[in-house]
Amino acid sequence: MRRTIQRALIIVVAGAALGLLANKVSPRAIPYITPPKPKAAASDTITLEEATQLWQTGPAFFIDARPPAQYAAGHIANAFNVPAEDFATHYRAVAPMLTPDSQIVAYCDGMDCELSHQLAGKLRELGYKNVRILINGWTSWRTAGLPTQTGTQP
Amino acid sequence: MAYGRAADTDGNATVKRINFLLRLAVGGVFVYAGAMKILHPQLFAHEIDQYGLLPHAGINLLAITLPWVELAAGLVLVLGVWVRAGALVVTGLSIVFLLAIISVLARGLKIKCGCFGTVGESFIGPWNLVLDILLLAAAVWICRGAKEEK
Repeated sequence: MRRTIQRALIIVVAGAALGLLANKVSPRAIPYITPPKPKAAASDTITLEEATQLWQTGPAFFIDARPPAQYAAGHIANAFNVPAEDFATHYRAVAPMLTPDSQIVAYCDGMDCELSHQLAGKLRELGYKNVRILINGWTSWRTAGLPTQTGTQP
Repeated sequence: MAYGRAADTDGNATVKRINFLLRLAVGGVFVYAGAMKILHPQLFAHEIDQYGLLPHAGINLLAITLPWVELAAGLVLVLGVWVRAGALVVTGLSIVFLLAIISVLARGLKIKCGCFGTVGESFIGPWNLVLDILLLAAAVWICRGAKEEK
């Protein structure tokens, strides 16, 4: 039994050490000590003008926080769908494309929509530094006649 | 006597076959679970955070190390080396997971398990409890059945 316990300890220690080493060389490395949760501020919103400019010129990621059915019915062109209510499942699909410095614009619909705030909060917790919220995103984008798409996420 | 001995041998063969299959199944589950988490450490850290059981600063450290411990324990079971020790680690992990799941259910939290990455997973429910208890039982069985290797 003593030998078993010794070997079990070796498995645990060796596994943990491998993990620490792998995190040193992995492109998906995370900080060893969890950074404190960032707080959302008012400056974390983006105006429609700025968002339009980002959409036209920069490599910004637009992320729709609404449920898939609403996204399929119409969304900002080239936007991804990460429903705030089922964040973990949908985040995996977009995660490989994002880096901590990626410009991200989160939106939903309506002046009081909470989903984009929830989505932005989760993304900030994961370490994305440039997440901004386009308030009333879908309606203001659509009524301004900016490019839109329909259909589910490719 | 001869019959009795023959029956014993048959029984041993059956037990051995069961041990072998259980070892592959439990080892396979842990290899898969570890590998899926290793692919997305940031997401796994987020999921550990949702449990609300650990001090915030320590979450990443667990997210970095735990999947590799699962992978290592699963691998020794699948490969059939240090089987007893591997089963002991899996037993320990399953007990910790069991306590975590019970605590989530008791608090009525609506969170994802994070057990196998998160593709298509629903919120933690009784099913997670059942699966974990099955794993725990299998690990204890393997641990008792396996001989100590030199």
